[in-house]
Amino acid sequence: MNSRSLLLSPNPNSLKSRFTKGLLRALSRINKHRQQPRSSREIRKRHRLIKAAAYGSMASSVGNRRAWSRALLWKIRNQTRRGYAATRNIGSSTRQLSMKKRICDLQKGNNSKNRVEVGGLGQVDKLRRLVPGGQVMHTCSLLEETAHYMKCLATQVKVMTRIVEVYNIP
Amino acid sequence: MDPTAGNVPGSAVPGPDHEEPGLETLQFREEIQRLITVPPDNASSFTALLELPPTQAMELLHLSPESEPNPAPAAVSGEPPLLKPCAHPFNSSLTFPSNATLIERAAKFSIFGGDQSPETGAVPSNPGVNLEKVKSEPAESDSNPNSSQETKSNQRSSAKRKEREKKVKVSMKKSKIEAKEDADKIPYVHVRARRGQATDSHSLAERARREKINARMKLLQELVPGCNKISGTALVLDEIINHVQSLQRQVEFLSMRLATVDPRIDSNLDHLLATESLSLMQSNFSSMAPPIMWPELPINGNRQQYQQQWHFDALHQPGWGREEDNHIFITPEASLISCNSSANSASLHTGHVKTEL
Repeated sequence: MNSRSLLLSPNPNSLKSRFTKGLLRALSRINKHRQQPRSSREIRKRHRLIKAAAYGSMASSVGNRRAWSRALLWKIRNQTRRGYAATRNIGSSTRQLSMKKRICDLQKGNNSKNRVEVGGLGQVDKLRRLVPGGQVMHTCSLLEETAHYMKCLATQVKVMTRIVEVYNIP
Repeated sequence: MDPTAGNVPGSAVPGPDHEEPGLETLQFREEIQRLITVPPDNASSFTALLELPPTQAMELLHLSPESEPNPAPAAVSGEPPLLKPCAHPFNSSLTFPSNATLIERAAKFSIFGGDQSPETGAVPSNPGVNLEKVKSEPAESDSNPNSSQETKSNQRSSAKRKEREKKVKVSMKKSKIEAKEDADKIPYVHVRARRGQATDSHSLAERARREKINARMKLLQELVPGCNKISGTALVLDEIINHVQSLQRQVEFLSMRLATVDPRIDSNLDHLLATESLSLMQSNFSSMAPPIMWPELPINGNRQQYQQQWHFDALHQPGWGREEDNHIFITPEASLISCNSSANSASLHTGHVKTEL
């Protein structure tokens, strides 16, 4: 399989190539010891691992430059350290953090710093839940992170489709 | 930080404050005409003084001078000539602030007065003509029909026009204009708000923040396909959320597919192939360019392919002719690498592998 070489050509340092390398490495690591998974439980486990590998390699290739990648890396590291249940806690704890932050903000500048301007209909909250690390960001930076996150997601999807193609031709 | 050749407010009082309205008007008219002719070359000198970025100030500068003073509307007696928005082309040295925030701020800041540069030679006859900084008026803000359809310059000019009207009507003491002969630093910026908008520092910050958010929303709109036609923040946000959700679902689905696939040993394969094939890729690319027919998909094609790869990779001494395998692998890879395309190249690869097997 040469999917890595398939995707690397133009710019070896681009996000896509970095992501591809990381993902393939993780995939090979995941696949190294296992036989073909027969039980659904195994498949689910592998699915989780592969998903974590995808997001993890994406976040690693982005590095620490973006808040969402930092949050994602942190989440994955904690996830592997403490087990899968930890991910749920992390979500709630960040939410608590964000609530505290909001309270502080509101107390500080009551009328001046009104952080809920983009009311929408709770859309900004939805967005916060979608983007990793979005709970503690201000709306303005949230939008910026969303844009970058979308771009990286699209790259991820492209790379993974290619990999799947190479793996599963029929 | 007294800007030069700015808009002269209606209540501009030449010299000492509170001259008689009549005299003031006359002087004001002269003053305005002279100020209008001030070229914006002074921008470099005093923009440094301004706490605004130079582009803003230059923009302001260029908005203020006009080709010719309009006859004042009869709305207010003694009102100075209106300063129409100048449609004259900006100097090449000017760079219009692209940032919406800056534009917004520039609109808010109406800097009056100007540098009495020697170029004008138009030092007003009245020696006391001074362009002072404009004091912010917290409560007094004319209501500007803040229609977004208006161009910024229109907005500003109309705002200033109305402000001037109001100023003339209401009081003269709110703003003074003083001429600055040389660069003087001003400790802080006075702001005149647009009509209908408060000059609260809070509201200013809010407005700046809103501008930032709107700019980012525009960025997102461009990213999400099909969002350009939608107007309105809520719908755009909906689209964005849907898009992100769909992308995440796709990743999940793809990872599930990867999980169910046969595990293979391909640890070193990619690395080897990448390093080896790179050198040969250039040469082989042209030969591989024509796409090969998509072969029939044998049922065991995958298995064969995997086995072959495995042998090639792990042993480096495949029993069945390393050279050809090399060649096989490299040439389709070359095309794959260069094409960087989709299923076609994948089919190329597998087709070759199968036929050779």
